[in-house]
Amino acid sequence: MEGGCVDARDEEFARLVKQAKAGDAVAFEAILGLYERRVLLTALRLLNRNIEDAKDAAQQVFLRLHRSLGRLDENRHFASWLYRVTVNVCRDMLRARAHRPALSLEDAGAGLVPAAADDPVRNEQRRLIYAALATLPERERTAVVLRDLEGFTTSEAARIMGCSEVTVRSQISNARVKIRKFVRRPPRRPL
Amino acid sequence: MRCSKFESLIALYVEIDLAESDERLVEAHLETCQGCREFAADIRESQMALKELRMDFVEEAALQEVRAEVLFHLSTPRRMAPWPKYAIAAMLLAGLWAGWLWRARTAVPLEVQPRAAVIAPPDLAPAPAARQLVRTVRRRHRQPGPAFKSEPLVVKIVTDDPQVVIYWLVGQNGG
Repeated sequence: MEGGCVDARDEEFARLVKQAKAGDAVAFEAILGLYERRVLLTALRLLNRNIEDAKDAAQQVFLRLHRSLGRLDENRHFASWLYRVTVNVCRDMLRARAHRPALSLEDAGAGLVPAAADDPVRNEQRRLIYAALATLPERERTAVVLRDLEGFTTSEAARIMGCSEVTVRSQISNARVKIRKFVRRPPRRPL
Repeated sequence: MRCSKFESLIALYVEIDLAESDERLVEAHLETCQGCREFAADIRESQMALKELRMDFVEEAALQEVRAEVLFHLSTPRRMAPWPKYAIAAMLLAGLWAGWLWRARTAVPLEVQPRAAVIAPPDLAPAPAARQLVRTVRRRHRQPGPAFKSEPLVVKIVTDDPQVVIYWLVGQNGG
């Protein structure tokens, strides 16, 4: 995975997990500090930039992590496990709120800070891409977020999503074609 | 293969997500197809825009809120939800009821064997010998019997309570 992810294979991290398992609150807080940004950012992307839902999802993920500490193998690929929990929690939330109207693009994105906030062209492009992501089916959005935004390989994304590599490859391909189509010809109604 | 079939392969090809054999197939097609070359360029452009989102970051306030909520939940002692208590009570009651039913079913019922009752019809005309016996008995009653003059028997019953002692006077005549 790109970005030099913190992994349970790291000796230091394995020590933290061991201490947290033994009930060390400081060690658990340290794990929380290592992963909270990535979990919240992923939840924001999967939940169409709804910050309140993303915060709820991130809380659930870390509370679930705390409950599962006893069963957690410190030598296992911890990041994959945490992303799988994040994806599952977000999927459950999307299903639970399916009857609710989605946030408008103006309301969405609170809590998310763009890297190039002062560039209007890039901001417009960014807005279009987020709108395109919001139109994707949930599985395709998850696949493209994991592969293209979080930087996992196809096999890692497949493991996180609990399906085959062939399926994930097909979902990624469909998503990229749809995003390209959306960006080239955005809908005429205001986004 | 038609160009529409190549679109899904090109979408993977631009990010090197294809197997080598498929890569060669796509490259060979791109050399000959202008439309697919344009499609590949478009996909590359939209992928670049997509990857720009990697640079976004979340506000510190949102992170702190999540952290505070998580730590608050972990610091508050978890109380047992009320429903398990009710469930346990219901299970106990159901168990007791089932036990009672089982015992009621397996207990040996008291069966009263029907017996044929033979009731002799009353004698309408008593036999002469019986009459004679009755007479004899009457005669005996008229004679006074020997009188017993003895002390009554005293039975002392001691109970667990030393304060309570029961005395039972039994007459020799059976009283």
